Parts: sequence; structure tokens; C-alpha cells
Amino acid sequence: MKTPLFGAFEPPEHKHMLGAIQHIDLPMRRYKNDEQVDFCIVGVGSAGGVLLQRLARAGFSVVGLEAGPFWDTERDWVSDEAGSYNLYWNELRITGGQDPLALGANNSGRGVGGGSVHWAGFTPRLHPSDFRIHSGDGVGVDWPISYADIKPYYELLEKEIPVSGPAYYPWGDPHGYPYGPHPMGGCGDILIKGCTKLGIGVSIGGPVAILAGSHGDRPHCIYRGFCIQGCKVGAKQSTLISHVPDGLKHGAEIREHCMVSRINLGKNGRVSGVTYLDRNGIEDAQKAKAVIVCGYAIETPRLLLNSACPGHENGLANSSGTVGHYLMAQAGNVVLGRFEELVRMYKAPPAHALTEEFYETDPKRGFARGFAVQTVSPLPISFARQMMVAKGAWGWGMRQLMMDYNHWGAIALLGEILPWDDNRVELATEKDRNGIPVAKVTFNLHDNDKKLIEFGKNKVMEIMQAAGAEEVVQEARYAHLVGGARMGNDPRQSVVDKFGRSHDIPNLFVCDGSVMPTQGSANPGLTIQSLAARTADYLISQRGAGFTKLTPAESQLPIRYDLSPPGTRGKGVPRLA
Amino acid sequence: MSGANHDGWPVDPKTGKPLEQLAHPGYYPGFRTLSQKDFWDEATRKIVLARVDDIPSIRFFSPEDLELMTAVCNRILPQDDRDDLHKIPVVNYIDERLYVNRLDGYRFEGMPPDQEAYRLGLQGIAEVARYLFSRRFVDLNPLDQEVVLKTLHDGNPPAGHEVWRRMPVERFWLLLVQDVVGAYYAHPYAWDEIGFGGPAYPRGYMRLENGEPEPWEENERRYQWAAPPGSPSAEFSPVAGSTEHKGSPGQGGTH
Repeated sequence: MKTPLFGAFEPPEHKHMLGAIQHIDLPMRRYKNDEQVDFCIVGVGSAGGVLLQRLARAGFSVVGLEAGPFWDTERDWVSDEAGSYNLYWNELRITGGQDPLALGANNSGRGVGGGSVHWAGFTPRLHPSDFRIHSGDGVGVDWPISYADIKPYYELLEKEIPVSGPAYYPWGDPHGYPYGPHPMGGCGDILIKGCTKLGIGVSIGGPVAILAGSHGDRPHCIYRGFCIQGCKVGAKQSTLISHVPDGLKHGAEIREHCMVSRINLGKNGRVSGVTYLDRNGIEDAQKAKAVIVCGYAIETPRLLLNSACPGHENGLANSSGTVGHYLMAQAGNVVLGRFEELVRMYKAPPAHALTEEFYETDPKRGFARGFAVQTVSPLPISFARQMMVAKGAWGWGMRQLMMDYNHWGAIALLGEILPWDDNRVELATEKDRNGIPVAKVTFNLHDNDKKLIEFGKNKVMEIMQAAGAEEVVQEARYAHLVGGARMGNDPRQSVVDKFGRSHDIPNLFVCDGSVMPTQGSANPGLTIQSLAARTADYLISQRGAGFTKLTPAESQLPIRYDLSPPGTRGKGVPRLA
Repeated sequence: MSGANHDGWPVDPKTGKPLEQLAHPGYYPGFRTLSQKDFWDEATRKIVLARVDDIPSIRFFSPEDLELMTAVCNRILPQDDRDDLHKIPVVNYIDERLYVNRLDGYRFEGMPPDQEAYRLGLQGIAEVARYLFSRRFVDLNPLDQEVVLKTLHDGNPPAGHEVWRRMPVERFWLLLVQDVVGAYYAHPYAWDEIGFGGPAYPRGYMRLENGEPEPWEENERRYQWAAPPGSPSAEFSPVAGSTEHKGSPGQGGTH
């Protein structure tokens, strides 16, 4: 067979593709810059995409300003590790502290869809205990909301994504998933073998934001293994393909390559809109009745701090002095095991099996909170870089080891690191190419974190050994970012209230991973999207009144079940709810 | 790198003789990811084929730095077992990254910008070579070059102290090695070497378990080979004596 069945594959002309089948009609609506739109969303990522869709569907005028491109997945994305460089936030940031975080490709997205474009797609919920770790474990802080407040939104988003996973998921608040689980790849088999041998329960085939069956214009997974390079298939969810098309259909505008440099304050003490630089570096502004910052854990604090002005000398929404503080990453130690037989871990999604058996606090372990264990399947470049650290490989040793790439499998720790005041985002003295001060990130592990990582790492290595690996090594690293503009009831201790409204300015909101007061051991993507749907319901329920005065956050929020993208209802495994 | 001198070549451990140079080292003889290029999507095909046909020219490194940097790359990932037609370009991609200022999205506090880091690092390597062997790095035999680089790997270079005062040596080492492996293992010849299936859209993979090859992949056929006798890089040892690296580079979000 010399040529493919249907000829060489080229993207269809004149169509903006969002996955292999789905496409959208452009141009989209373009609002005038001096037209006061209802909402200006800064950053159309995991949260921004969901917000934009819901607010537009509810009839508001919405402009999303996105620093990166509005991807055409056929033309812009590749089935290639090095070639996927543009998916990440690669602009300069300074990283320091005792335990500096790697940023960029490690945890920061850029372009419409944001981090949901390059996430591996694990979508576990937080556990009920995560919302009250101060009350329950005497560490960190309690959320201003409980699990019951977010649960309906988890259920909604699991259908909208939709999530594939087991019909019964036993950890936290037990629940099932709308789409069935995926088949196993090499690393999933390793995790199952190791866990089963040690008597540890394990979930297979999900929960992941990857279609195990087709869904509307989105085909099911083809197991090509390039999830974190952007799913060209359209099987893995990103808000780019799940929510943004519906938002545009309802009149939202996304302005790509627009880097917001500051939020503007009007004479009345409320925000009036934003100033941004377009792709040519030319400054422009957009007026809006309300601004929602969705820039994620580093760019959100950076923008708030860079928006300092008379009356807000320490940055907007920062009367508490906590903007940028309580930044969190999860412990993400990767454990690599060499097997005598071939694994070929590049096939199948990296995310496809996990255990949360160690999630909750166990006093016997000598530290608070816990961790999950998940499959990861590094492609060759990532694997080589892990081996550079894990074994100190270089030269002939690296060449020889890499020839055994197909014999190695990988699973990883996902451990809760607690929120600490000294882990934070500040402004550096360095500036970006537009002259805007860049973020400086400081990160230190504390005692509880170190104990948790030590125990968790050893447990993951034990699982790898039990699976039959003849050699086991590990690389210390971190995954995900949250915090930096945390929500809370006390305006002296937090940046926004439980709906994302800043304590200081009634029409300035934050909605993204930065509002999370703690992080649990769950990948944050589902929680971020669910919080966005909740904030959208709040904004819709306020209907303008909310922008004129500080209203006490309502205790009962009417949940809108009619704002999901089309095709969501009645799909997948039937549920009574 | 001439074919006449077999210094520093890998060997057949049974005979101790240098390996023959191959178009295609590795345990998957006959496997060519490029043979599948018609089954890839256009955007991917373009970017992968460019790595073979359209190698970026040198714009950042000065001629002297280029000579040294090339020699360094040839030890970080030696290619003495590859024939001249199938050597994988590495330095060109690092040069391009530095020329267009393509960042990784962060810089460690206390590190100079990447361009400056490379200039300093090369200076440091040159000074260590002079200190240990009283010669230029590029004039050393491959094993002595490895000895020089091993002092950086160990976090203990005996010379160039002014350089390493301005830039922690293990940070530079990790930056250098990650850039080199990033270029080498991006190349389809490297995928052939390690048996990585490469791009798989829109076709996908169908044999997910037990390491089974796709119909177009090859089974592993191992052969014995060893690094050149005495090669310091053949032995694994932790960078700067520790596997607990503060801020190891991180990868394209493994989870």
C-alpha cells in the first residue's frame, strides 16, 4: 500500500477546522472598541471558553481577548512533539525560590482553548473533603463553597465535555460517567498490574475528557497518543471545540493575538474596560460593563498587579495584599520502569488509568492530605529529558538508553501541595517585548509537602516494581498551577468572593484556576470549567444589577440547565438525574 | 569527524572491534517512519520533512563558537555510529532557537538569558579543556572531550570559575542537554533508531497493548553494542550528584 486510501491528507479549503470534522463559519461578529459590551473576557482558555459560550447563549454581548491564536486545528496543529511548541505560553517569566517551577510547556497554555488544548485530559472531581481541609485536617484553608455547591456543575460539565470513564467511580463522592471507558495502553496495563498485585483499587479508561464514542461532529479517539500536542482528531475536549463554536454562534466575538496589558478604572471606581496590544503591538482598548480575568494562575495576578493605578497602588483587587499569593502546583514525580518485554508507550492517550486510593488524609502516614497515581506516557523528547535528570543520562549512555525507549513505561504521582503565602507571583524587573513587566514566580516546598512527596513517590515506585519492572527510576517535577487570586468570604484574606467577584471592585471578576484556595489531588481542568459555568450562572442571575453595587453573594444560585452546547442532553450512559 | 580514526567509536563487545557506521543504527532495522509520510496530515508532513530537507542555517553562533558548539553536541549525543548521510543536525536547531529568541517560557532566577548562557557556557568548557589538557576542546580526542564535559555534568568543573560564578553549572548543563536531545529526538532518523512510530494522524494506532507493532512497524531485533571503552558518558550518574533536581526542566505537560 503506497498511498493512503483517500489520497494525501490535506485540510479542506476555506474552512476553519476544529477537529477532523467540525468546522465553523468565519468571520465572526466584530464589536466596536468604543462600544460598551456587557462582558470582556481576558483569556479564552478552560474557564474563558465556557464563560464566553454561556454568557453569549444567555444573550449578553461578549468579547473574548486572547493573547494567542484562534487555532485552526488542521493547519496549526501537528502530530509531532517538537512542532507543538506554539501551544504553550513561552514568553519570558522568571522562576525562583527553593524549589523553582518549570513553566511553559509544563503547565501554561496560549491560544483559544488555553490549557485545555494541551492537557492530557484527566477529569477527576475534587473530593468533598477538599473544600474543608482547614476544618478537617487543620491545614490550608476552607473554600467559601462546599462540594454540594459545585456538584451540579461537575455533572453538567461531565456531559458537556463529555467525560469517558467507568460507570461507577468509587472515590470522593461516588459517581459514574456519561461515556464508557477507553481500552488500555501499555502504561495503563502497568498501573493495573502493579495496583492489583498490591491490592490497590484502580480506575481504568477514565475519567478523561476524551471521547470513547463519537459525539456530534467530534469523532472518537484514534489512540495516536499525541493528546498533549493538541488533539487534531477532536476527540479530546478543549473549550476551543466544545464550547467556543456555540458561543460564536450566539454572537460572541473572540479577538485573537490580543494581549491585555491593563484593566482600566473609570472615575466611578469601577472598571471601564481593558487596554490591549494587538498582533502588531499596536495599543487599543475595549469598553465593557464588566471585565472577567481568565488568565490562569500566573497571567491573572500579573495583569491585576500591572493594572495598579491611583487608589489601587498595589494592583487592582489587591486591598488584601493576597493577589499572586498562595500559588500552588501539584507534585508530579514521574516514575519510569524498564520492562523486559516491549511497552511502546507512545500509543493510546497518556491519560487513561488512575487510582485515588491514597487521596484522603491517613494519620498513619504522618502528613496531611494525599495523592493520586496516574498514567503518563512521555513521547521521546520528554522521555529523554526525564532520563537526563532521573539517571543523569547523556552521551553514549543516553543513546543506548533511548534505544530501549519502547521497553519503558511511566506512571506518575499527582500529590496535593498546600497553599502557602510565600509561594507567589510578583512582578519582575524584566519586561516582555511589549514593555510590560513579566511575572516572577517563587516556589518553596514546606514540611508537609516534602513528606507527602517522599511517601507518594515511594508508593508509585512500589507499584511500578509490583508491575514487574526490572529497573525503576524517578524524576521530581510538578504539574498544573492554581491559586494566586483565591476566593474567600473574608475580603482581608482573599481576592474574590465565592462567585469570582473581586471584593474591591464590583464589576471586576476573576474566573480561572487562580481562584482555587486549595487544589486536592485532582487534575484541575474539570473544576476550572465547572467553576466557570457556576460564575456564568451567577452573572446571568445578576442581570446588570450586579455591576452597579456590591450585592451580598446569594446563598441560593439558580442553576441554568438550558445553557449547555447542543447535543449534550440525553447523550451517553443514562442517568436518573 | 572522519571515518579513518576510530577513536571513540562504539564497539561490538564480543570482538571489541569498532561498530560499522550504519545508515540506521538501532534495533528496528527496516523501520522508516518517513515511509508513512503519505498517511500523515499535511501540516505534520511539512514540519517533519523540513527536518530532513530544510535545515536552518547558522545565524547565532560565531564561527569559533560554532566549531566548539558542534564538537560539544557531538559528545552530548555522539553520532559516530551513523554514516555521514544520516547524521542528525543538532547545532542548527539550537542556533535557530537562540537567534529567534524562542524561549521555553521561563528562566531560572540567577540565570542569564539563554543566549548569554550559551556564550558563557562555551567559554567555561573551553577553559576546562585548557586546564585539564592544555589544548582546545575541538582538538581533543572524543574520550578526553567527554572527560571535560563530565566535570560539568558532575557539577564540578575545575576551571572557568568566573563563568560558573555568574551561572550555576548544573543549570547550564541541563539547559544544554535538554536542547541537544530536543533536536536529536525530533528527527525522523532518531525515531527509526528507537522504534517510535511517529506521527499517526489521521490513521491512528490500533495495537495498543503488549508492545505489539502496527502492520507498518517492525519488531525489535536487538544486537549487542557497547560505548567506546573508557567512555565517561556510558556510566549513569546523577547530575551534580543528585537526582532531586530543583526545577528540572519539565516536559510538555506529562499530566
